[in-house]
Amino acid sequence: MEEYPDELRNPPVALISLVGCPEHHPAISSYLHSQQHPINVLALPDFSKVPVVLAKKVKDSGSEDPPGGILKRDWLLKHRTKIPALVAVLFSSLDVSGGPTQWLQVCSDLENLKAAIRPRNVKLVVVVVLQSSSAELHADGNNEDRMIALKKRAEVDSKYLLMYTPNDVSELKQSLDRLGNVFSELASAHYREEGRRIRTKVEKRGYNFPELHMRYCFKVAIYAEFRRDWNEALKFYEEAYRILWQMVGTKTRLPPIQRIVEINSVAEQLQFKISTLLLHGGKVLDAVQWFCQHNVACRRLVRVTEAPYLHWEWMSRQFLVFAELLETSSATMQSISSFVVGGTDRTLTEWEFRPAYYYQLAATYLKKKQSSLEISLSMTDNSSEADSSIDSVVPSTYVGQFARLLEQGDELSMQPLSDEQYVQYTLAEGKRFQDSYEIIALLKRAYESYSSLKAQRMGSTCGLDIAKEYFFLNNYVNTKQVCDDIITLYRQEGWVALIWEVLGYLRECSRKLGAVKSFIEYSLEMAALPVLPDTSITFLGFMESGPAGLPSLQQREHIQKEVMELFGKDSRDGLSVEKSTDLRLTEENPLNLEIDFVSPLRTVMLASVAFHEQMIKPSVSTLITLSLLSQLPLSIQIDKIDLQFNQPQCNFSIINKERYTSTTMISSVQQSQRMENASSLVLTTNRWLRLTFEIKSEQSGKLECVSIIVKLGPHFSIICRAERPASMDDLPLWKFEDRVETFPTKDPTLALTGQKATQIEEPEPLVDLALVATGPALVGESFIVPVTISAKGHDVYSGELKINLVDVRGDGLFSPRETEASFLDGHHVELLGIAGAEQEGKSQGSDSNINRIQQSFGLVSIPNIKNGETWSCELEIKWHQPKPIMLFVSLGYSSQEKDSTSQKINIHKSLQIEGKIAVTINHRIMLPFRRDPLLLSMVKPFNDADQLVSLPLGESNVLIVSASNCTEIPIWVESLSIETDFISASSSCCIKPGSGPESTGSTLLVAEEEYKKVFTVKPEVDSAPLSLGIVCLRWRRDPGHHEPSTIVTTKHRLPHVNVEVPTLIVSSECPPYAVLGDPFTYFVKIQNRTPLLQELKVLLSDSQSFLMSGTHSGTVFVLPKSDHVLSYKVIPLSSGTQQLPKYSLTSSRYSAGFQPSSAASTIFVFPSKPLFKGANDRGKNLESVATI
Amino acid sequence: MIVCVAIVGHQNNPLYIQSFTEGDDALKLHHVVHCSLDVVDERVNNPKKSGPMLNETYLGLLYPTENYKVYGYLTNTKVKFILVTTDLDVKDADVRNFFRKFHAAYVDAVSNPFHVPGKKITSKTFAERISTIVKAFGLSSAG
Repeated sequence: MEEYPDELRNPPVALISLVGCPEHHPAISSYLHSQQHPINVLALPDFSKVPVVLAKKVKDSGSEDPPGGILKRDWLLKHRTKIPALVAVLFSSLDVSGGPTQWLQVCSDLENLKAAIRPRNVKLVVVVVLQSSSAELHADGNNEDRMIALKKRAEVDSKYLLMYTPNDVSELKQSLDRLGNVFSELASAHYREEGRRIRTKVEKRGYNFPELHMRYCFKVAIYAEFRRDWNEALKFYEEAYRILWQMVGTKTRLPPIQRIVEINSVAEQLQFKISTLLLHGGKVLDAVQWFCQHNVACRRLVRVTEAPYLHWEWMSRQFLVFAELLETSSATMQSISSFVVGGTDRTLTEWEFRPAYYYQLAATYLKKKQSSLEISLSMTDNSSEADSSIDSVVPSTYVGQFARLLEQGDELSMQPLSDEQYVQYTLAEGKRFQDSYEIIALLKRAYESYSSLKAQRMGSTCGLDIAKEYFFLNNYVNTKQVCDDIITLYRQEGWVALIWEVLGYLRECSRKLGAVKSFIEYSLEMAALPVLPDTSITFLGFMESGPAGLPSLQQREHIQKEVMELFGKDSRDGLSVEKSTDLRLTEENPLNLEIDFVSPLRTVMLASVAFHEQMIKPSVSTLITLSLLSQLPLSIQIDKIDLQFNQPQCNFSIINKERYTSTTMISSVQQSQRMENASSLVLTTNRWLRLTFEIKSEQSGKLECVSIIVKLGPHFSIICRAERPASMDDLPLWKFEDRVETFPTKDPTLALTGQKATQIEEPEPLVDLALVATGPALVGESFIVPVTISAKGHDVYSGELKINLVDVRGDGLFSPRETEASFLDGHHVELLGIAGAEQEGKSQGSDSNINRIQQSFGLVSIPNIKNGETWSCELEIKWHQPKPIMLFVSLGYSSQEKDSTSQKINIHKSLQIEGKIAVTINHRIMLPFRRDPLLLSMVKPFNDADQLVSLPLGESNVLIVSASNCTEIPIWVESLSIETDFISASSSCCIKPGSGPESTGSTLLVAEEEYKKVFTVKPEVDSAPLSLGIVCLRWRRDPGHHEPSTIVTTKHRLPHVNVEVPTLIVSSECPPYAVLGDPFTYFVKIQNRTPLLQELKVLLSDSQSFLMSGTHSGTVFVLPKSDHVLSYKVIPLSSGTQQLPKYSLTSSRYSAGFQPSSAASTIFVFPSKPLFKGANDRGKNLESVATI
Repeated sequence: MIVCVAIVGHQNNPLYIQSFTEGDDALKLHHVVHCSLDVVDERVNNPKKSGPMLNETYLGLLYPTENYKVYGYLTNTKVKFILVTTDLDVKDADVRNFFRKFHAAYVDAVSNPFHVPGKKITSKTFAERISTIVKAFGLSSAG
């Protein structure tokens, strides 16, 4: 686009001319420039210049002569810069209203001017520059007449006679506005008139030549553009364009080639104008459609057979210019998609709205031009003598025409060229330019544009074209770089033919650059491409496949052979690498080719490794299968295969016996490694080479095959990453081919599950670890778990014992729930300590023995144990809560002394231990027999359910404490006692053991047996609540045959009690037994402890077993602080256990009734007076029981 | 005249590509077919453009090169059919009809129990059938 002249690229701007008063020109021109529709100003300082500018060539009236060309080259420029639409003549007001000499001067200037502008039909405006204030002007009546005279002289309308007042700021603005309006109005009138004038010419068709028709249309359009009438301009440009194509084939004085060149040039200009107008008008769709038509029309154009490159160059320029136009306007363009949908017929596609498409085509045509130019040059190479004659060829007056400039003395004249001369001229011009760089630049623009559109395939095609162009320029570095970029996409999508082509370039570049490694890589990849023999028919048409040649099996084989020769296999045969002298593999320059999981070279060599077992024991051998697959068309002889593992001592090599010894010497380092021999290592196309060997490892852990190094020839090897058959990716490219697929291993299950790694187990421990627990553990005691380690096979060195206590139920490691009482750091089960060994453990020092003890974890280092010896220790564990736990003990040791690297052997043992509560303690408080105090708290209804037990003050109550064994383990109870609190010391309450027979020593309690002890509790102070103290039970586990166990104290806190003053105490008294028929007295004693008179109702019910005398019912009054006794005489009538007559008392003051319990009112009646020895003692005994 | 037909798989890999030119532009046609996938992608990824034609398998003219016109067709299983022709004036209906026949042939070919889905179509019967369809297209458009 840049090559077009300025006047063509920019829309025309109206031009006016200013004459006279040059001092005011700058102000006016800058004002006109800054308007919305700017006006260019041609400032002429004095009148003498006007005729020169406006001079018109006298046309030779010979209308019969055909025109010299279609468009004049400088016509547009002339109208834009030379010929004004109007001339504004500036007179100073002093001159106008001055003396007669001045006035005469004004008149003569005006006359001259009028004469000059008339032939051009240029408008005239007279501007009077007011030098003084306007008031001054009007004051002078003479002026009025002068102005009228001036108007008449100038023959202008009164509105085109303007005043210009430069001195007053406000007036200046107004007068400038006035000038601007008049100028633009008149300029547009001028262009309209000019346009109309020529339009009538067109319509009248008063000429015989289409050239003129076309030219006039062009002019009308330009004039329309001057006044910004874009529609008319477009219409006439299109008309001109139409006429132009009709001219093809009409005879002119120009020779045919130049004629076509001229038409092309004019068409190009018209096309440019039309496209610009359409695009700037926002009609992108129209513009694209128009360009399509133009494109079609161009193709129809008769090509110049003598110089086809001219046509291609021109075509290329069309596309380039349109692409640039589209690019500049695309910023303002709305989204492309709307056009594509908007078009009812989808003849236009997405890319046709993108500059990239046109750039690409421009490059394509330029490429065609380049090649045809080369052909033309090669044909006319010897005619270099003509060069001198075309030196002076220059563009001539008409667009698209060329002529020879001849110097004849001072005169310069144009001499038309013959076609031959013209062709020579263009050839010489063509030689001067390097089209390749231009092509690359175009393609790069297309490439970038496509990339930004994410059209990567289009981009890749452009990229390939760039690469080809670089290749053509012998710029191999750039070619390689571009090809490397684009081949990725082709590989990814599996376009074999395209990969083949790109690889061909890459390979050739590598060869040229002497890059051995990449040359071998590309060659191998090419050789392994899936170009199958049966599809070669498809590729018959490939002629332009570049340096790669035809994609065929033969070519693949050829490439492989070439590479193989490079490996030096046959270098000794004298057939060594012929042309590629730079490419050589030597001892100093060996080559290792790495193939990983994503490398495209996986097709060249695929290595799969499968262990036959997923887990093996140390030092036990297992089988490993190595499978190699290659898609190279020819078989390969492998010299040596190295297998490398993550445990280097397992590495081994497989040698091709015949070849390896003959080619290389085995170095001493390698000799230390394991070597396996294979009779033949030949890798054929698409066939797994399976090799199975034994392997074993001493070291436990993972054994993984890392890489396989395949040595081909003395200086070349391929390093493959080992792949596992279980999850092997498909071969790139070949996965789309319909080929025979086999498993890498013979065993199909191994092929599906095989792994490249195996797990080596730890060595078997030859040590016994014994944990013994004697039944369940009891809460509170220190439970002893003996641990015994006995070496039964090898010594134990630097052993470590780890002890872990784990909750069986798994709810945390003894962290207490929040509701539970937390004590002892919240551990329910605690590891107290580890007692050292009995024998040698103690001598070693117990401080070094026990390393670390935590509440649920312990770590102990154990001394070295010789084979056959044992060592033991005891774990001391204490339960605070009854919980089952799991005890884990693990021993880690090494079997060799002072060998830190050797493997640790581990042995684990676990034991579940129940924790149980040993004894449960219960208590019971009782009132004295047949003595019942009335406590007011018992009368009052309390809604508080858990109220404390109330004890009467000063009375002796009975407390029975019982401890029962709730395990199956017999325990010895050492003692049971009550410890009173410090605060409520003996002063407030008196607790004494009961007066029964005191058991001395310890008592054995078997399962579910109870141990009881009786205490007397006598509250002495009325203080509620009263603490009774803590029951302490000291017991120990029945040791059985073992040594005596430690004594454990279990504590049980007694509940608090209320102490209350009793109001009434009712006690009944009767003898301990009765004899049938023997009367006795039955007393009911009522004690009033209050300072109040108490009224009591007494009711006595009869009993069949007794005959009795006394009040049956009545009311008694008991005086304050006194006693009242009711006595009954009773005769038993039947023997045995009998119910005494039941009485009931009701206190009216407290509304409380009382009836003795049936136990309290029971008596045994002997049929006759019993006679037993020591009756007195016994009676005393019985009495004591009764009075408790 | 149809110069090339192609079937392109899910990974944009060629499943079948056959050119019918005597000339030397088979490789060029590979490029043309490959490039046309960009347009297919563009049309598939911006389905709003083809709003009214939601279930349309025929993609229409993909892009014109200087000498060829490329038409596309996308099956329900996202297999792409590409047609490259040198005719400048082709009726849409003819192309649709061609693609329908082409699709039927493809379905028959992949229904072969010995065909592995995702691999190239190597059936000779299929190739013969396609060349018949291609020849028929030339006749119908000429007539």
